[in-house]
Amino acid sequence: MSERALRRRHAARWVAGSALVIGVGLVVLLATRPPQAATEAYSPLVGHPAPAIVGTTVGGSSFDLDSLRGRWVVVNFFASWCPPCQQEEPELVTFAYEHRAPTDAALVGVVFDDSASGARGFLQGSGATWPAVVDPGGQVALDYGVRGPPETFLVAPDGTVAARIIGPVTSAYLDASLRQAEQAVA
Amino acid sequence: MNAALGHSGVLLGFASAVVGVGVIAYGLARGRPDMLRSSRVYAVLLLVGAVLATVAMERALITHDFSIAFVAANNSRTTPLLYTITGMWSALAGSILLWGLILAGYIAAMVWRFRAKSGDPLVAWATLVTFAVAAFFFGLMVGPADPFHTVAGAAPANGLGPNVLLQDNALVAFHPPLLYLGFVGFTVPFAFAVASLVTGRVGEGWQLATRRWTLFAWAFLTLGIFLGAWWSYQVLGWGGFWAWDPVENASFLPWLCATAYLHSVLVQERRGLLRVWNLSLVVATFCLTILGTFLTRSGVIESVHAFSDSDIGPLLLGFFGVVLAVGFGLIAWRGDRLRSPGGIDSPASREGAFLLNNLLFVGFAFIVLLGTVFPLLYEAFRGQQVTVGAPYFNTMTVPIGLALLVLMAIGPALPWRKAAVETLAPRLVVPAWIGALVLVGCVAAGVRGLGPLIAFGLGAFAAAANVRQLVLSARAARRHGVGAWRGLVGRANGGMVVHLGVVVVAVALASATSFGHRGEVTLHPGASATFDGHRLTFVGITQVRTSASSATEALVVVDGRATLRPAVSEFGTGTDPVGTPAVDSSVTDDVYLTIDALPTAAHGPVTIGVTVQPLVSWLWAGGAVIVIGAALAALPGRRRRPTDPVSAPVPAVADASGDGGRHGERDGSGDAGESDDAPLTRRRHPVVATTGAARGDDQGEWTGEPSDEPVPVRSP
Amino acid sequence: MTARRFSPRARARVPWVALVVVVGVALGVGANHPSAPTAPQREAAIDASLRCPSCEDISVADSSAPTAVAIRQLVATRVAAGQSDAQIDAFLVSRYGPGILLRPPVSGITAAVWIVPVVAMAAAGAGLAVVFWRRRRLETVSVAADDRRLVARALAEQAGGGPGPGRDTAPVP
Repeated sequence: MSERALRRRHAARWVAGSALVIGVGLVVLLATRPPQAATEAYSPLVGHPAPAIVGTTVGGSSFDLDSLRGRWVVVNFFASWCPPCQQEEPELVTFAYEHRAPTDAALVGVVFDDSASGARGFLQGSGATWPAVVDPGGQVALDYGVRGPPETFLVAPDGTVAARIIGPVTSAYLDASLRQAEQAVA
Repeated sequence: MNAALGHSGVLLGFASAVVGVGVIAYGLARGRPDMLRSSRVYAVLLLVGAVLATVAMERALITHDFSIAFVAANNSRTTPLLYTITGMWSALAGSILLWGLILAGYIAAMVWRFRAKSGDPLVAWATLVTFAVAAFFFGLMVGPADPFHTVAGAAPANGLGPNVLLQDNALVAFHPPLLYLGFVGFTVPFAFAVASLVTGRVGEGWQLATRRWTLFAWAFLTLGIFLGAWWSYQVLGWGGFWAWDPVENASFLPWLCATAYLHSVLVQERRGLLRVWNLSLVVATFCLTILGTFLTRSGVIESVHAFSDSDIGPLLLGFFGVVLAVGFGLIAWRGDRLRSPGGIDSPASREGAFLLNNLLFVGFAFIVLLGTVFPLLYEAFRGQQVTVGAPYFNTMTVPIGLALLVLMAIGPALPWRKAAVETLAPRLVVPAWIGALVLVGCVAAGVRGLGPLIAFGLGAFAAAANVRQLVLSARAARRHGVGAWRGLVGRANGGMVVHLGVVVVAVALASATSFGHRGEVTLHPGASATFDGHRLTFVGITQVRTSASSATEALVVVDGRATLRPAVSEFGTGTDPVGTPAVDSSVTDDVYLTIDALPTAAHGPVTIGVTVQPLVSWLWAGGAVIVIGAALAALPGRRRRPTDPVSAPVPAVADASGDGGRHGERDGSGDAGESDDAPLTRRRHPVVATTGAARGDDQGEWTGEPSDEPVPVRSP
Repeated sequence: MTARRFSPRARARVPWVALVVVVGVALGVGANHPSAPTAPQREAAIDASLRCPSCEDISVADSSAPTAVAIRQLVATRVAAGQSDAQIDAFLVSRYGPGILLRPPVSGITAAVWIVPVVAMAAAGAGLAVVFWRRRRLETVSVAADDRRLVARALAEQAGGGPGPGRDTAPVP
């Protein structure tokens, strides 16, 4: 084979080879995407003090996150119009009931872009007993870096954020996450 | 009944494709041309199956047959007829059906077009490849993405209706089908490329034969992309038309490779060079259409397009891998056959410009691909999210766009083989001065900003250079007595018109993105405000109810002449309200209104979001010019009579419409081994080498560049 | 010497030199921007550089989603309070992570997305330049006397009429 033909074959092989490498890499990357269920997600707030949540609940009483210092707090951003929130609501009711002891983990809801009446109706309809804070202007959601409901944050007794979970949670998942966070802190 | 009909159509299509593959494979293995010829019937059966399934689906939709899960999910009794019909492609399974229908249509057309050569192994391999692709897509419909899957239990009384954004604007009837006509159309050149590699017949015959197919697919892809941008502009309410969304990028990537291919194939036809480039570009174009389908269908990247049913995601990804491996594996294997007769003599030549063109387009595609995929890469390795958004793409691609404008201006004036300054300068001096004067005019008119000014100047330069080419062609055509309009048709001249359209689009992009203003005005009923030179008067709120939606409209009078009605609409029951923008377009600028906040009390103030962007209508006009240019390029340049001489002896030319022989300037360095340069369709008359005055150039069209005309052969 | 000053080549260059001068001046004038942007302009610029957290790929400026409205409000407050662009970006990154910025940061690993394309294209261009350079150096065509005679004969026959003898490209059936 002539010199030039050899060079041409090598050029073709180089082109094809590099395209294949890029392609295979792309395939591997795209094939290993995480599934779409509740997952623990990155948040820059993890390990840092939880931003303040001060406001009025849908029931009309006042609320301050600091008052729950010393307990684990599960902060759940929700909306009545969001299907995964509807999906996780019964699970949250179960969780709240199991942890109803006064020193046990507390559950707090924050309304995300919803009317107070809509949120109240949603909670009452599912038998929820925990306080849900109204967030006018979405500033609390902004402080926590919430992209969209449902998102749940675990706040340690010392007031730092321990984990951020996106997607609809189950009671079992919350329990497991809590145990994991407790071990990490201890 | 509909489900049964649909299922049988899908199964028929799948079976025809699979059997077609088998029959052709057997015919090729045993050297039985009669079997290859008989495989044509399977293309017909495939089309019949696809049409049957489509008719079944449309019938189910129109008769509101909610026993089919797809209809129950995407149609309701209150959906208007138009959106009922377009509901077929408004969700995953139906859009695969549309793909299958269009693919079956292309395969049938291809088999018919090359029916005279159906015993030729090259054509047979190409048909086999298309059958294999069809088998994949119909196979998806047989199993995971079954459009005729019936509802478990009793049929619901009413369906959910299509996604609200898909019943807002009639463009939903055009954008997906046209886009698919583009995407699916690239299957044919790809099939021929693979066939040529497999058979080892890598000459130019298949490229000439499929030139119009590629151009056709490219034109529809361009049209589909522009309509998508227009639709996004009209419906989505953010005043923009291109968000560098992962799915928009996924449709843009094959367009970039296809455009590079359409240019680079000219070099292969004229000089036989850049073969590896051309094959790689064709394979890459098709692979990218599959990747684009995967990105759209699998929801792997969140996007306004993602139909997040991800059952078929892994299958599409696997198919992408297979196509990629087959395509590039074949190129690597046949590397030794892809040697060209000679090389590029000088970088300053038309070949050099086309090579640079290839580099720029591939670089462009690389940037878009990297930017789309990088967030996934980053998240996979770091766990955090990073966003690669519009600022990145704009910063990286604007220089490439400007370089392409320069090439557009200089390229058509460059001679082949080697350019001398003395030849080039006189051709470009007038267009360059026109560009400079436009630049000065813009600066004098108060335009500021380096980027837009350079874009305007270069755009005028490129436009003037391309108009010059068209004028020369028209003059040459008239000189030869065939009518000046002949100077506007044919591949080169159509290409000049396309370039003019691109210049218009570039100017529109530069001005809309650099000089747009966005703001909010809060108005009480009857009050007015001025924004960016336009006077807005809020008249009042009205409620409009149609069978499908109930909307709250705000009547706003713009500049005292046009009434716009931005609205907040609710489609069907229980769905979220959707903002509907209203646009007043003029030649100079667009006024784009949305409702940001409805009045909370009767006769209360409304907050209107206003966006004013100059020259947006030029975008759509430029897109229309591009498509018109593509149509002109598809027309034959000049009916070549069989006794017309060319500058060197050539075999019978590519297709019966006389597209002109291009082998004229081969420097004949021993391609004797490649007898495949015979075209795939035979002309009706043999070419006779003759005497007589030479007329026109050897591309079969009038281009009028005096130094490009071949040396006339003097008659005896 | 006077003959050279009016040589055709010099004359041909004049329009181009004038062109460069005109374009340069125009761009110089046109590139001037008004200084210090106003507060609304700053807000618009910052909003356009932030990603709407709950949307797909559009900026905070373009979106009407509640998260975007909240961020716009925050940006307006902070711009009015005199914070710099970098401070506002830093605050939002501290809440949402680096994904809130539409422009991938130029520092750290993400610099790759900026650098790799530039390097790749420069390398491709350099590679081509090298190929052309090498080819130009290798190509010293020396024409043999036999070839000259062949060409002369062919030209003579062609001038005499009729197609030339001996084609190099074999006609294909």
